[in-house]
Amino acid sequence: MERRQALKSLVVGAATTMLPATESLAAFLQQETDSLAENKVLFDKALLNNPNLIGFQGTHQEFSKTRLTIEGTIPKNIKGSFYRNGAALFERGQQRYQHLFEGDGMIQDFHFENGEIYHQGKFVKTRKYQQEQQAGKFLYSGPDSKVINGLPVSTPEAINTANTNIIPVNGELWALWEAGSPVSISKKDLSTLEYVNLGRNSDYGNTLKGMAFSAHPKIEANGDIWNFGLSHTGHIVLYQLNANGVTRNVNLIKTSYRGGMLHDFLITHKHILLILPSLEKNNTTSGFFNAIEFNDQLPMQVLVVDKATLALKKRFDLPPGFAFHYGNAWEESDGSIHFDASLYSSVDVLHHMNTLMKGLNPTSLSTAKTTLFTLKPNGTVQHDYIGENSEFPRINNEKVGLRNHELYTIGSTETMLWNDTVSNYHISNGKIQQYVYGKDFLVEEHIAVSPTNKEGEGYLIGTALHVPSKRTCLNIFDVKALSNGPVCRAWLPYHIPLGFHGNFVATT
Amino acid sequence: MKIKLTIATALLTLTSSVFSHSLQLEIREVKSNQGKILAQLFNGESNYQTNNPMMAQQTMAKEGTLIVTFSNLENGEYAIRYFHDENNDNQLATNLIGIPTEGYGYSNNAKGNFGPAKYQDMKVSIVDSDVTTHSTVIY
Repeated sequence: MERRQALKSLVVGAATTMLPATESLAAFLQQETDSLAENKVLFDKALLNNPNLIGFQGTHQEFSKTRLTIEGTIPKNIKGSFYRNGAALFERGQQRYQHLFEGDGMIQDFHFENGEIYHQGKFVKTRKYQQEQQAGKFLYSGPDSKVINGLPVSTPEAINTANTNIIPVNGELWALWEAGSPVSISKKDLSTLEYVNLGRNSDYGNTLKGMAFSAHPKIEANGDIWNFGLSHTGHIVLYQLNANGVTRNVNLIKTSYRGGMLHDFLITHKHILLILPSLEKNNTTSGFFNAIEFNDQLPMQVLVVDKATLALKKRFDLPPGFAFHYGNAWEESDGSIHFDASLYSSVDVLHHMNTLMKGLNPTSLSTAKTTLFTLKPNGTVQHDYIGENSEFPRINNEKVGLRNHELYTIGSTETMLWNDTVSNYHISNGKIQQYVYGKDFLVEEHIAVSPTNKEGEGYLIGTALHVPSKRTCLNIFDVKALSNGPVCRAWLPYHIPLGFHGNFVATT
Repeated sequence: MKIKLTIATALLTLTSSVFSHSLQLEIREVKSNQGKILAQLFNGESNYQTNNPMMAQQTMAKEGTLIVTFSNLENGEYAIRYFHDENNDNQLATNLIGIPTEGYGYSNNAKGNFGPAKYQDMKVSIVDSDVTTHSTVIY
């Protein structure tokens, strides 16, 4: 209790200085043209000439239970549901959001049942979604999109879109968005249940209500859920929850991070790694994502935190860089820590997603390289690039925080707009297996599904949008023979918006 | 005697016209009967900015709408802020990073944008008559 009080006193009052001063913004916006309406005109025009943009058009429609058409054979030992989340509603009225991350979240469920695969998709019914749905227009400005005469935002929760990831917790699903609370969802019918108060059923009570909880929690093999939340001050809250989603331990790490956005982190069996990229938010630039800049003089920094105490133990400086995503970290007996990153040499990719929303092709695109880092106990750092053009790294669930030998990513081979290739990097022996879907497909995150709970066994599954036929397919690969192509491809009769992250929940 | 009476009447009239006004805040959408509403009245911006309330009121919470009244006010500029003290600890509860976790609000139904409301949005003027303002609780 004393510790929580100490934490509270450290930051109480911070709310009074939250985010940008907007007192004169309303008056300014009165005279401003409707940039969201302009965005829609631009996108609609571009869509006429670039069919690939259907992946980013979004939808207003939910998808009722539909049986997929099967090519090949569904492996009999895959039992359960593949849930995915992503920004899906980008337009209301004649307005369109400016950044891909701003859309309302939609949950997609690919359910394996009696030798068939069924799909359904539903929006997360956040307060924001419900209010705007009722009004028939956008009511709140987003991180980059300025809604003229938009409603004031009392807390980040007011604009929580729950649009980034979805994880299973204690018989429910949690839809995640990095600046606010998880939103619980029913596994049965994807209905929205409630905003999760992270302090519930624990001594923390309301002190965790409405706190940021990132979209990339790490779930250890024992079920413990580790996560962080970045506050507007740059301080980072760390969480340890048990398998039932009850918070066991919390700490606040004070940092001088000014990047505004922190998307992912890592754990080993002993430590938490907070990796602060070389980003700085320029407070003289409008928008939130729009104001995030890369500083090529600023080292990336790794904060190594003891899992037992949640206290900061050590810092490492890395060469300047930026990553949204990391696959895994693990630790040797001598204390050396290894981790991988989908590493960029700029933050252009973040701004690319603004360009995409206008339907424009980026002039140049920086791609991520799979990079392996080693942090030595003596403070030195090594890094090696092992793969060009790789994003959305995933590993086998059983290996979270432990030594992994395989790393699954997607990337682009024939197109620049989005991803068209899935890869399996065998980190230990340097071999790479790849399957190129080709330029007709927009490929999404692929994840490992191992019925035996063993790395290197089972399947890699993921969705892709086939642009010429305007249909989305679910693809199942034998993880040992990725290059041979999918053993099963299950087709929807329609396409669904491209999403971000997902997880498979096995039926027990 | 007559003069004295006239002066007394004049003083009484003056007193009633300057100090007899009330400021009523209608608080809407209180979510429960639990705890109480604590409201503070500020006279002018400098008192608000220096956290120097002129009066405070405590009212039992009541689900729905309730009214808080500050009486005997002279003409001038005022602002009210309040919170729903559900756990009865006389403090606005916040989470670890300082965001309120109990309901709160301001006169003139002012709302903050990523922070507290601005004084200019919550101020209310009393000029020779009673004033009623309202606020919807922000939970």
